Amino acid sequence: MGNVVQRRTRGALRRCPFEVCGNMAGLELLSDQGYRLDGRKATELRKVQARMGVFAQADGSAYLEQGNTKALAVVYGPHEMRGSRSRTRHDQAVINCQYSMATFSTAERKRRPHGDRKSTEMSLHLKQTFEAAVMTQLYPRSQIDIYVKILQSDGGNYSVCVNAATLAVIDAGIPMRDYVCACTVGFVDETPLADLCYAEESGGVSSLALALLPRGGQIALLQMDARLHQDHLEALIEAAMTACKGVSKVLDEVVRQHLQEVSVLTGE
Amino acid sequence: CLQTEKILHLKSHRGRKVRVVREHYLRERVPCYSSLCQADCENDGKVLPGDLTHYVVPDVGVVVDFLEILEFRELQGVVFTQTACQAVQHCKGRRQYNRLRNLIKDPRHDCVLFANEFQEYSYCPREKGESQEKWQTRCVYSAAVWYHNHLAGMKDVVMITEDQDAVAEYSSLNAGVYVISDFLQNFWPELQPAHELYSSISQALQEKESESSQKEYTEHLPAEILEAGIKSGRYIKGTLNINKHHDEASIMTEGLSNKNNDPSWAVLVCGNKNRNRAVHGDTVVVELLPKSEWRGKVTALSEGEEKSGEDNESKPMPTGRVVGILQRNWRDYVVTFPPRDGTQSQSRNSQRILAVPWDRRIPKIRISTQQADALQDHRVVVRIDSWESTSLYPNGHSVRVLGRAGEMETEVQTILIENCIHVPPFSDAQLREMPVNSPEKPWRMDPVQVAERRDLRETHLVFSIDPRGCEDVDDTLSVRSIAGGKLLELGVHIADVTHFVAEGSLTDLEARIRSTTYYLADRRYDMLPAVLSADLCSLLGGVDRYAMSVMWELDAQTLAVNKVWYGRTVIRSSYQLHYELAQALLNGEPAEVPELARLEPEEKDAKLAELNQALETLTHVARHLRAQRDRGGALELEGVEVRAQLDEQRNITALVPRQPLEVHETVAECMIYANHWVARKIQETFPHQALLRRHPPPRQEFFNQLVESAKAMGFTIDTRTNKALADSLDRAVDPQDPLVNKMLRMMATTAMSQALYFSTGLESQDQFYHYGLALDRYTHFTSPIRRYADIVVHRLLTAAIAVERGADSGRAIASNKELEELAQHINSKNRAAQRAQKLSTVLFQCLYFKERDPQTDPQCVADAIVYSIRNNGLLVYIPEYGVKGPVYLKNREGQVVAAGEDGSCEWQSGSLRHYSDRISTTSSCGTSTFRLCDHITVRISVRSTSSHADSLNLEIISNKPHRSAEPQQPHSQGRSQLVQEVVRQAEEAQQQAQEKAARRPKLSREEREFSQSKTPNLYSLLEEVRELALMDLDTAARVCVTSASY
Repeated sequence: MGNVVQRRTRGALRRCPFEVCGNMAGLELLSDQGYRLDGRKATELRKVQARMGVFAQADGSAYLEQGNTKALAVVYGPHEMRGSRSRTRHDQAVINCQYSMATFSTAERKRRPHGDRKSTEMSLHLKQTFEAAVMTQLYPRSQIDIYVKILQSDGGNYSVCVNAATLAVIDAGIPMRDYVCACTVGFVDETPLADLCYAEESGGVSSLALALLPRGGQIALLQMDARLHQDHLEALIEAAMTACKGVSKVLDEVVRQHLQEVSVLTGE
Repeated sequence: CLQTEKILHLKSHRGRKVRVVREHYLRERVPCYSSLCQADCENDGKVLPGDLTHYVVPDVGVVVDFLEILEFRELQGVVFTQTACQAVQHCKGRRQYNRLRNLIKDPRHDCVLFANEFQEYSYCPREKGESQEKWQTRCVYSAAVWYHNHLAGMKDVVMITEDQDAVAEYSSLNAGVYVISDFLQNFWPELQPAHELYSSISQALQEKESESSQKEYTEHLPAEILEAGIKSGRYIKGTLNINKHHDEASIMTEGLSNKNNDPSWAVLVCGNKNRNRAVHGDTVVVELLPKSEWRGKVTALSEGEEKSGEDNESKPMPTGRVVGILQRNWRDYVVTFPPRDGTQSQSRNSQRILAVPWDRRIPKIRISTQQADALQDHRVVVRIDSWESTSLYPNGHSVRVLGRAGEMETEVQTILIENCIHVPPFSDAQLREMPVNSPEKPWRMDPVQVAERRDLRETHLVFSIDPRGCEDVDDTLSVRSIAGGKLLELGVHIADVTHFVAEGSLTDLEARIRSTTYYLADRRYDMLPAVLSADLCSLLGGVDRYAMSVMWELDAQTLAVNKVWYGRTVIRSSYQLHYELAQALLNGEPAEVPELARLEPEEKDAKLAELNQALETLTHVARHLRAQRDRGGALELEGVEVRAQLDEQRNITALVPRQPLEVHETVAECMIYANHWVARKIQETFPHQALLRRHPPPRQEFFNQLVESAKAMGFTIDTRTNKALADSLDRAVDPQDPLVNKMLRMMATTAMSQALYFSTGLESQDQFYHYGLALDRYTHFTSPIRRYADIVVHRLLTAAIAVERGADSGRAIASNKELEELAQHINSKNRAAQRAQKLSTVLFQCLYFKERDPQTDPQCVADAIVYSIRNNGLLVYIPEYGVKGPVYLKNREGQVVAAGEDGSCEWQSGSLRHYSDRISTTSSCGTSTFRLCDHITVRISVRSTSSHADSLNLEIISNKPHRSAEPQQPHSQGRSQLVQEVVRQAEEAQQQAQEKAARRPKLSREEREFSQSKTPNLYSLLEEVRELALMDLDTAARVCVTSASY
């Protein structure tokens, strides 16, 4: 059921400049004492904060911060097909994802047009992730739209988007097999680092993004475009799964809290 | 478990000022690494002892500028702050930072790192408008206060700083935390070397500030521009390599940055300005000059002042200039203080001396010192501190005085330091690890060990064959027939060094740093302490010893391998033979075996027959193995260095060529076989992390000289494969002159690439090939007493055996990366050992001839053979002394050598013509021609220089072969005599000097022998720190634990 995205070409080449940069600046991603640049230990996640139901207009919405990466996810649907009818599936719902980054999301303001290669790819990954998690067969001939916007970017954009979108889907009341939790892990000095921040991502680390359905331990998406020795892959995936399970605990907490608040409001 | 806090950091990025927000996580529990800790910190690894009077927290400025002083082992309880470490990383670069890291890891140094910026209460955010220095000082101070409070006020904390403002601001804020600036005077008034170093460094720092602002060199470009330039192909990255003889440098580019695939592609850098402050070995970035300014390489033999005219340059090659330096490669340099004359700029208040480095490739170094008078003509170890664009020469400071130039001990020490070889006497802590074997307390085998090992004492006839008088026997052999004569069992038993040297122990660390035993012309520096190398590990005759064995079951007829057994054994060597004796036994000559001397005649004959039988079988097997390898294309090469590397013979004999006996080859063949099979075993069990040795095939263009020279003599050399080369070398024999073949083999040797250790995870399997031995896999297994690589291989083999048995090997074996690092280290140490050996040989040659008057002494006239032709001279080889060197046919006045009727040569005005295989001089008395492989007579004299190594000067006196009055002595005698002679002279000179200087304080034995003082001096301390770069955290931690438990 899972999708594994493999892009073998260009990965190593594209990373090269960063790698050299990292070395030249002498950034030490993992100190001898086991601290990372921002003071975390290798397995520690960034602080995750989230809120569900931030907009009333949409069917479901959520805001999620993972450290300094902040994302807003909005879900519409399930509703009838819009646009071209040809994409209609008679046995399941179609999931439509759109990913975008705010112009002010990075250190340098930059216009980010829709439909550039990077965001198209990201949208595709999100779509594949949620096709594996949402029980689409319950809504034949219909469509579910998931829009995610990165408000501030500090590494791990994909995983933050997945986590935010999960909450939004839950908020919309669309049944899922399980939470989808995602996390990036990197590999430095034979040690897997959980939840990379931007400085680490650009410091020449071979990183891997994993989306997991934590209860069953099924992988919804695995993406990696850097070079890594085969022997280390196992350890890296293991670390990623542990990290994803950590995220799922936080998300579960958020959902329960939200339900409590809502039930108080409705007076049940 | 995690407390988060977000803090803004302002950073400029890629030239533009950009605000970057970074997260910063703080936590309550940051280990303090003090044994006094009340709060149960997770102090794993090194811990500061509680019995000190105070802890020291050095300020950022102190750590950045005076790290060398903090490296003193006397300074205990040093707490480095994270703030200071980061500052070192930023201001001083990676090299200095690694040095600090290694210092912190080193279990012998009493210092720890406190991650103060991640501690909730010791972290202070930078305030608006606060300067970086102020903020850093505040951070360090707050860390010091935290430490004091954390230890509940039980320990006073001293923060040291060079900043008087900080002293004024903070000194009275907290009780128990002192801020002072003159730490050394207050606490260590008697630590003299530290004070000297302190004044040396601070003087260098002051000098730096008072530099004039006149630009001598162009500034280096910033790192981002270099980076972008390399990527776009505008600049080229490479390692600067300065030619020893000419003042030109070339950049060896590294594969990736080079579009041109030809590996010999290099960029020439001419002159000091273009070299732009880069020093030999630095990793630099160069920009190519326009094509019109390209120049060729100088090929003529130069005597220093030769003008490089157009005619003696090769065709123009890419020429460039250095625009930036990525990585400095500064090491310790030996310099000579010049004799005092008026020319030096000493008029100003301080004494700045331009000292001349021993290595010609290094620029003069400016040193500020007050001891300039005392140090005249002395060799001194210095370090370069900086090289500003405003200064013509780099600035440095002195570290240690070696002694007067020209004295034997000084020169030997110089050679060691110039090759980064550091061999202090073994420390007490290390010797305490060693087992004891004394007459009162003899060493005995452990019954547990005996039970675990296969016992060969009763079943196998084990014997060793070594050079006469050998102490460290690390290999023994056994052979017997089993299964009713159908099978042969051949065994190679190697000293089990790893049983005594536990991985990560101090002995192991020291051995790893040394990597090999160093053999100089007159002495050797052992890798392992003598109790191991000459006694407990050495497989001496008649005593029980642990061994690591490889045993093959061979078919008695076909000699095909049936089964191989690897494992640990207990052996007792029955005979400790030497080569000559073994050969005599084989030849059936009457020989006295010392082990059998006391026996009754009948018993003796029986034993002798048994031994003879074993030797014969062994020879038979070895011949077969040799033939097998010869079919594969194994090479027999000439040349001392390569020989020692290619086969299994002992290095000691390198100066004394062996008499070629068949038994040498027999032993060598068995060792090669053992190495090969061990290589197979470890490579199969650990495909990605086995330490093997490969010998890459040489590049064809290196053979050009060999092929051309051979052609000139009428031989053809086929260099396509190793087999073809071996065959054609065998054919190229001149019956008149046996030296011709030797010369050709020597030239083939120089064309060879070096054999290297490597980790199998890094190369593809077709790269494992050993060209010289013609084996697909090879490693070093048979000499663990004198090579560290063998120790590593022993450990791997032990682990492989454990894996086979299904048992857990206990410890994880080194990863590919660690192993590759280790392999690189061993390779570089091996190269250093070879260089040192070569240099010490040259040194002794020079000292020998220095005592002789070249005009009268017959020893100074020798026969030489021409092996290469250059534009203005010849390169010759003198077999009698093993000397190679240039002979000039044209001198500075433009005169050439003219040979008279009787062959005697003299200088006359004339001209010189140069062909590929000969060179001829034309003058008023006719033309004389010198061809390759001609024998000529040369006079040897010494060219002395005060600041560099002496070199031999060869002068042609006749174009006829030299015939000395007495028959030629065997070479070996000549050469070993040479060394003895020189040592004796040096001793005499020393005695005389001592008698003269009876008033001076008496030197200790150590000082006389090695110019080393008994107490660990500053230099050796620092050197150890530096070399600990090898030690990983894991081992460091382990050593810590063990040392803490004592």
